[in-house]
Amino acid sequence: MGVCLNSSIIASYPILPTNITDGESLSEGDSGYILISSNLTSYFGANVGDAVEINGEPFIVKGIFESSSQLRTVYMDISTAQRITGLVGKVSRLYVYVVEVSYATQVADVIKAMYPELYVTSYQDRLANLQRMQEMYTQTLSNAESSIAQAQSTATQLIIIAVAAASLIVFFVMLYSVRERTKEIGILKAIGFSNWNVMSQFMLEGMLIGLIGGVAGVIIGSIAAPFFSSFLLPQLNLFGGAQQTQRPLQYPGLAGIQSYNVATLSPQFVFLALCAAAILGTLGSLYPAWRASRISPIEALRYE
Amino acid sequence: MSELVLETEKIDKIYKLGGRRIRALSDINLKVKRGDFVSIMGPSGSGKTTLLNVLGCLDRPTSGKVILDGVDVTALPEKELYKIRRYKVGFVFQTFNLLPYLSALENVELPMEGTGKSKREMRERARELLKLVGLAEREDHKPLRLSAGEQQRVAIARALANNPSIVLADEPTGNLDAKTKYEIVRLLGKLNAEHGTTIVMVTHDGAIASHARRVLFLSDGKLLVKEKMGLLAKEKLVCPACGREVQVEHAFCPHCGRKL
Repeated sequence: MGVCLNSSIIASYPILPTNITDGESLSEGDSGYILISSNLTSYFGANVGDAVEINGEPFIVKGIFESSSQLRTVYMDISTAQRITGLVGKVSRLYVYVVEVSYATQVADVIKAMYPELYVTSYQDRLANLQRMQEMYTQTLSNAESSIAQAQSTATQLIIIAVAAASLIVFFVMLYSVRERTKEIGILKAIGFSNWNVMSQFMLEGMLIGLIGGVAGVIIGSIAAPFFSSFLLPQLNLFGGAQQTQRPLQYPGLAGIQSYNVATLSPQFVFLALCAAAILGTLGSLYPAWRASRISPIEALRYE
Repeated sequence: MSELVLETEKIDKIYKLGGRRIRALSDINLKVKRGDFVSIMGPSGSGKTTLLNVLGCLDRPTSGKVILDGVDVTALPEKELYKIRRYKVGFVFQTFNLLPYLSALENVELPMEGTGKSKREMRERARELLKLVGLAEREDHKPLRLSAGEQQRVAIARALANNPSIVLADEPTGNLDAKTKYEIVRLLGKLNAEHGTTIVMVTHDGAIASHARRVLFLSDGKLLVKEKMGLLAKEKLVCPACGREVQVEHAFCPHCGRKL
């Protein structure tokens, strides 16, 4: 960005960045010097006092400023800027400062009327633009949040169904197993296993069934979850799109969304899921195990 | 040696079957001394298995007492009985009742599970017992890969695992062929003679019963008194060594001294 390095203008209007983090700002006559935004230091590999080359011309970095946006900006003398860009006598943008802020719109209208070929915006226009964008983002954000909430409530319902199904499966498998192994239970009791020995044996088995199912579930889930979430939660992709357009504006809400990873399995979650599976297995086998422990050894031994 | 291991007092066992009362055991008074080998003979349905189940705390008598090692087990609560079955009694069944998915060694270890023995102690004890029954070489075999006689040997080793006061054998030779039958009953005789194992064996086979030191007769749930016993015991054995006839009660041939 080329600026008119006239000391009275620099002193009166905020045309140069104020948040200098290193070195100092430009002053009158600094035609071989530039200010660069901090996000350019690595691009140029230069710091304060280093020489950089722009469009074939050498410049010395006089100061580095913290950019409020993601734009990468260089400030230099206007005539130098016009020369190295081949736009001598031309500008691409003019900033008009009004003394009384409330007249800004009228001044913009006057300029528009005088120079219809120019594109004129006032700060109010820009503010209105920003507000529109802000609203758009907020809207998208709340849409996404509600779709996430919806997905979560669906997930909760699915989890409840899965939990009930898992317990029932263990329950029936164990009930069947107890029936199948009546004779074995009779033998165990005849050689001195207590009711509790028999019961804990079957509960342990239920727990193992649950745990094996849990491990299989985690493996299948970790493969399938990212795949399914891509079409079960399509709304979230909007965010990816919105994130990619680099706007010189900060939206803290979006930063939050970006870290909202729906389809990854954290180690804590896996641990929790395995614990739950083991507990469900044990609970599901509780009644069958109790039935097993109550089997009379004499009848069980007669059972074929 | 004269210490009583097992004593019963007036055991009755009555089943109710569809309103009918069936007296399976009636006034059984039995005394078994330590180191004894008793056969209980009787036709099927005479109550042999019921008697053995009552003696082994698998079943309770309707009335009467069972005293095992001085403890009235009929007075014990249900949840204490497993200890008696585990430590005082060793069961040998007609159908062996080994767990098919465990090796011979693991089947023998099973009753020691949860007794506080270490895995190594269990393994050592099980190996020792398999050697005792002549199966040291077959410890890794699953029951299905063993012959019937070998399976019964494993079952006998399992019965001895916790060094019980008494071994109760329910028709231990009932599922075996003629040759294997005698091997098994001789094994029981050897355990009794050489290791002092107290055995009560139930059988309907006179030749097998005769290997015991004493033979008792059970008929319609009653232990027969001696004079009646004589009538039932008409069956005679031929001693394979000297060829003379021997009473079924004898475990050793009275003529030549050969063990039968």
